Amino acid sequence: MSLDFSAVFTSWQFLLAGVGDTLALSALTIALSLVLGGAIGLARCYGPSGLRWALIFYIDSMRSIPVLVVLVWTYFALPIVTGVTLPPFWAAASALTVHISAYVAEIVRAGIISVRPGQSRAAFALGMSRTQAIREIILPQALVRMLPALGSILSITIKDTAIAAVIAVPEYMNRSQTVAGQSFHPIEVFLAATVVYFTIIFPVTRVVDIVYARLAYLGRS
Amino acid sequence: MNYDWSVVWRNADVLWEGTKVTVFLAVTTMAIAIPGGIALALMRLSRIRTLSIASAVFVELFRNLPLILVIYSAYYILPVATGVRFSPIATAIVALGLNVSAYNGETFRAGIASIRQGQSEAGYALGMSRFRVMIDVILPQAVRRVLPVLASSWVSLFKDTSLVSVISVGDLAFESMRVRSQTFRVLEMLTAMAVIYWMLGYPQAKLVDWINNRYRVSE
Repeated sequence: MSLDFSAVFTSWQFLLAGVGDTLALSALTIALSLVLGGAIGLARCYGPSGLRWALIFYIDSMRSIPVLVVLVWTYFALPIVTGVTLPPFWAAASALTVHISAYVAEIVRAGIISVRPGQSRAAFALGMSRTQAIREIILPQALVRMLPALGSILSITIKDTAIAAVIAVPEYMNRSQTVAGQSFHPIEVFLAATVVYFTIIFPVTRVVDIVYARLAYLGRS
Repeated sequence: MNYDWSVVWRNADVLWEGTKVTVFLAVTTMAIAIPGGIALALMRLSRIRTLSIASAVFVELFRNLPLILVIYSAYYILPVATGVRFSPIATAIVALGLNVSAYNGETFRAGIASIRQGQSEAGYALGMSRFRVMIDVILPQAVRRVLPVLASSWVSLFKDTSLVSVISVGDLAFESMRVRSQTFRVLEMLTAMAVIYWMLGYPQAKLVDWINNRYRVSE
């Protein structure tokens, strides 16, 4: 078996633009999911009970539906209901955000409930209000404990953006398929994609591990 | 806008076949990936350097690649690399198996590492061999401890099987999307697909929560 990577090299500009789209989609999704998921996680813990039940239902639904289904539904079915067709990139960003926010919300909740009740009791005993106790005592400790899980959300999101290829977002996976189809050298193209994705995602997981190892002591109580 | 939900009932048999394939893929993959994960964990903890490095490379590679890429790569590379023609479903099981084994490998390694050293020391003190200590003392405790994580991996796997639809495996996602393009009832079929996944996945997600509470390790 001889490998011929010339197809990858001749299309490098086209593929590189795809890497750009992969990174842009990942960054946008991560930013939106952290904000939305953070808000949902807080509301899930401290919101009124009606809202809490609605959020639990939303979170558990996202945990049970494949991200592919959410993507395909957002891109193909949502326009039929709303009459508005989102461009693939924005459909993917919305669908991934809706999906990943649920996971972020669960991480936020797990972080909050990991702080022992004695901590908030101590805060109340010192005359702090509920808001003060949450903001000054619980969240700072919870945040550090959320870090490793939130860090893994980074690599999960980058990996999930590859599924956006299915709804024709011109990110790296989608462009690899195009080049594979046109060049009749799919093996070389997907081997190159393996190297590229690994080079993007592996450092992210490593940096997250290293940063957490440095900060872990802050989470002890 | 007029909707015609009868298309879902008319294609119920196709959706049922797809659902069976989805369940089959998840069950078969997990049946491969649990022994696979234990083997990877034992290799990683082995004193033979080559084995330990090989396991680390395998685990890190598949944990840091998008599954959809692994599926496409398996589809194109397996037949050429092995000289054997793989059916789409066999390709799917190989790709999912590689992915989930890598995750399970990390899970089991963490589980084994979480068993206090006194346990294996006590085993050695009783004259047990390294092998017997692992099989009779460490693994039974580790398996119980990793059960919640394995349960989450199961739910992830169940959802991830939908990705094999890209290589034309007739699972629930593939069949729903095929009926969609044949009938042009896009909203109806995609909603039906989402609802079926939800009905299957929701109880599993709740079961995972229950297992998490039941087997929580308290310090």
